[in-house]
Amino acid sequence: MLSISAALFSDLRDEIQNKYNNGHIFKASYTNLGINDQIDVYIDENVSIQSEENKVIPYEINVDFKKIHLVSWQLVTQTLDSEKNSIRLQIVDIDPLQKSISYKLPEVHWIKIKAITKAAFDIVTFAVKLAIGLAGIMALWLGLMRIAEKSGLLQYFVRIIFPLLHWLFPAIDKKHPVLGSISLNMAANMLGLGNAATPMGIKAMQQLQELNKTKDRASDEMCMFLAINTSSVQLLPPVTLIAVMGLGVSELILPIILATTASTIAAITSAKLYARARNKLCN
Amino acid sequence: MQLSALIIPLLILFIISFGLYKKVAVYEEFVEGGKEGFSVAVKIIPYLVAMLFAIAMFRASGAMEMIIGLMAPLFDFFGIPAEVLPMAIVRPLTGSGSVGVLAELIQTHGEDSVIVKIAATMFGSTETTLYVLAVYFGAVNITKTSYALKAGLIADFSGFIAASVVCIYFFG
Repeated sequence: MLSISAALFSDLRDEIQNKYNNGHIFKASYTNLGINDQIDVYIDENVSIQSEENKVIPYEINVDFKKIHLVSWQLVTQTLDSEKNSIRLQIVDIDPLQKSISYKLPEVHWIKIKAITKAAFDIVTFAVKLAIGLAGIMALWLGLMRIAEKSGLLQYFVRIIFPLLHWLFPAIDKKHPVLGSISLNMAANMLGLGNAATPMGIKAMQQLQELNKTKDRASDEMCMFLAINTSSVQLLPPVTLIAVMGLGVSELILPIILATTASTIAAITSAKLYARARNKLCN
Repeated sequence: MQLSALIIPLLILFIISFGLYKKVAVYEEFVEGGKEGFSVAVKIIPYLVAMLFAIAMFRASGAMEMIIGLMAPLFDFFGIPAEVLPMAIVRPLTGSGSVGVLAELIQTHGEDSVIVKIAATMFGSTETTLYVLAVYFGAVNITKTSYALKAGLIADFSGFIAASVVCIYFFG
């Protein structure tokens, strides 16, 4: 919606300012003589035709052109060459005595509207190509992660995380099974396995709900758990990132770990502070 | 950063050897997991189409330039390229959508640009906050989320700032 209105707005503005010189008659002079010969025409005025979307319609050029090759000056429409690109000019009048030529540029309307329509159709093909490309790397990575899961690698991470949980959730008894679910969820998140983490997270949430005293309102523990989850503790980048970035992802591993550490610290701090503020209100 | 090139191959080697050591049926499990990868990729097509479509229209219409132009002074203040803005907006809302944003940024700015690196780090370092919130609280019928959303968004925001700062330090 916003894009279409913006496109309409800028098209109307261009229309009013006549940015593309629709209907304007330019003068040019030529040097060589000879009917039906190729002649060179030099444009007197400094004309520049600019197309902002130089990939798209209407002019496939973005140049100041000085030289026109007319194949025949009796034809109404002629072609102006500028290297590879070309544009059709409409010849209005030719004066052999003055060696001058008057011409119009092709009319241009609704650039942005045409551009967004074209962009929309182009991108859809790109989306499917992208997804098919993703399939290969996703299959490879999730295949590897499945091996990691089955070989019990996840359990090692659980062992590292588990002792930290008591500090994060002081109200929960150390032996309660919910801590197991939470640590599994975090371990899966650390390995970038968002899809595997979700079911474990839901299980942890259900167990937290059993401990929750007000059933429709989120407890402090739930908020803490959620905040940590949304900040995504991450050692390996998420599968989809690997799929999109390919090998380029390896140099991002360190930045991601640093950034995610910052966001996790922010999550824990803000959850702790909010919890403290809420408990003060209650007491 | 020569070391970083080794991380992925070493990890693959480690996972497979560890699996063999633990007597996991490596091939069978790999294939089983791989199937999931394929179905995930197919599943996200509609999301990718929707998001890429929206961004493409947004960019082609010139609305993107306008907004980036408006936000530029704020971003310049922190030294962050304003082009990463779509990622910051979309990331908390939809995961597949932000894959689309990233893919679009790669296509427009190239894989080696700082913009893409910042956006990718943003992607990797935070989660789809609203989705996680909806799924987790929805599963247990919590309607009053108290401060969970605020805390999550604070985390996202810090992640974005950290991602930009770290990437500019490493690659800028």
